[in-house]
Amino acid sequence: MQKLKTGVRVIVILFAGMFLHYVLPQHDIARITGTEVIRQDFSSVNRIFFAQAESGNVDGATRDVQFISVMRRPTYLFGLIRGAEANDVMIYRNEDTGWIWPPYFKFDSRDLQGEAQENTSTAEAPKWVSITHYGWRNRFFTVFPNAISIKRIDDPNMTIIPWFNIMFFIALMAGILFLRAVWLQFRERALDPTLDKVGDEWDRVEAGVAERQSRLKRWFGSLRGK
Amino acid sequence: MKFLYMLVVWFVITTLLYFMISVYSRSVRREKLEKQWAEDHQGGDSDARTAYIENGMVEYEHGFRKKLIVLVYVVPVVLVTAILYLTN
Repeated sequence: MQKLKTGVRVIVILFAGMFLHYVLPQHDIARITGTEVIRQDFSSVNRIFFAQAESGNVDGATRDVQFISVMRRPTYLFGLIRGAEANDVMIYRNEDTGWIWPPYFKFDSRDLQGEAQENTSTAEAPKWVSITHYGWRNRFFTVFPNAISIKRIDDPNMTIIPWFNIMFFIALMAGILFLRAVWLQFRERALDPTLDKVGDEWDRVEAGVAERQSRLKRWFGSLRGK
Repeated sequence: MKFLYMLVVWFVITTLLYFMISVYSRSVRREKLEKQWAEDHQGGDSDARTAYIENGMVEYEHGFRKKLIVLVYVVPVVLVTAILYLTN
């Protein structure tokens, strides 16, 4: 039972972690090598890894998706460690997230495409950018991370501090502690007294039954002449 | 359409949150009053105790702290506006 509980807990934490890793923003230092628009015929596997049509348009079964190709410094350990050389190919999709999910409220994918085109450069005369994105790249299922914003940077060796994620995890911890406090308060003030009352009632019922049983027993005893 | 959908979801979630927080806050306030009474008067008669606590609760219901819970509705709107501005 204890093993089962631990197993369930591990799975829940793993899924929550994967979910956050998918949804939270990450930064890449990269050089944009090109932009493309490719028609995507979604399958049931990769459909959920794409957003919907731009918020002014209607969603069809297939649609054109904008892509940005870059050479980036590879990242390891959730983006905490960055490789020295920009030698890792990465492709981002560039889609509106719209009003719903994930809550980036991005409506300017066309403008972002323009920015990407403006900052396209060659290896000889590189223009470095910091690309904020969320999502995963998976070659087998044709899944791409979504680029949120592009910012010109001068120094490709700069360190990026993920302020948003730091704030997010602080807020998440605060939220969890708050929910725990609410639950403890509820248990102390509402649940335990009620359960106590129910328990008392039950004790009384049991005592009554025992009393009646013993009376019955005595009566039987008297019949048998004890 | 999506926008309306978001508004409805947002409203339902924040309303639930609002009620949860107000119940919690009220409960904490009551507990505090009870403890304060226990500290000031060892035992004491129960009528005065009830009056003291109910008085404190009425004060809380009309107080500023209770109104702060409305922030639950305000903060997400501010956050969404900020994110909207920053991403676009």
